Amino acid sequence: MEGFGNSALFFHKQSALLNSHTQYTEMVRLQPDPFLNELTNMFERTTEKGSVWVTLKHSSDKSKVKINKMKTAGEKIEYKCLVRATDGKKTISTMVGQKDHSRFQSSYATILKTRMTALKKRERKDRRKTADSDKKQEPKKPSSAAKPSN
Amino acid sequence: MVYIASWDDFLEKSVQLFRSDPEKTRYSMKYRHCDGKLVLKVTDDKECIKFKTDQAQDAKKMEKFNNIFFTLMARGPEADISEVGGKEQAEAQPVKKGRGRKQ
Repeated sequence: MEGFGNSALFFHKQSALLNSHTQYTEMVRLQPDPFLNELTNMFERTTEKGSVWVTLKHSSDKSKVKINKMKTAGEKIEYKCLVRATDGKKTISTMVGQKDHSRFQSSYATILKTRMTALKKRERKDRRKTADSDKKQEPKKPSSAAKPSN
Repeated sequence: MVYIASWDDFLEKSVQLFRSDPEKTRYSMKYRHCDGKLVLKVTDDKECIKFKTDQAQDAKKMEKFNNIFFTLMARGPEADISEVGGKEQAEAQPVKKGRGRKQ
């Protein structure tokens, strides 16, 4: 039984290796700060066309099998906030825990504030909005303001 | 998939959805700069609720929404979000009052 289990694990590792060669839509796991930098880049790349998605999920970052094993063993499962971001081409992700979530979320809020400039200020100020979008045609304008505050 | 028109409804339903199934519920936001559109979505793969906007003032509401969901997801579904949600109002009020009372 045990021998069989080991070989299955080995096979799993091997297939994971093979998969890494065909990195098509590979999920890149980053630390929170590099994640925020890369997110800023994503917003910069998609100003002319494209969208950015950011997803939050309550996750333990463990496989179902592992979770079940831990549950039956009565172990405590630690949950964190899994944050994923994609522009449709590249996907990045990070785990944000209890300790660092307030710092992360304030940096994240700053990025959103500086990047989400295409939304309308007020419905009636239509003229100003067209003037704004003209300015945005020039790239790299707010590069210094784009970096997160930490 | 349902677009919800009222922000307060969306917020309430989203938190409800998450608390009823924390392990399956996810919250996504999609931002499209060239069209100036923002879509928030919360789903557990059975129910799906969305909120769509092109208004900058809704981005501020989203900030609060993000705070709530970061707290819920990083601390767990039992986390107290009354403080996170009310924080902004509590901060905004003294500024207003400060102006009037200054003498």
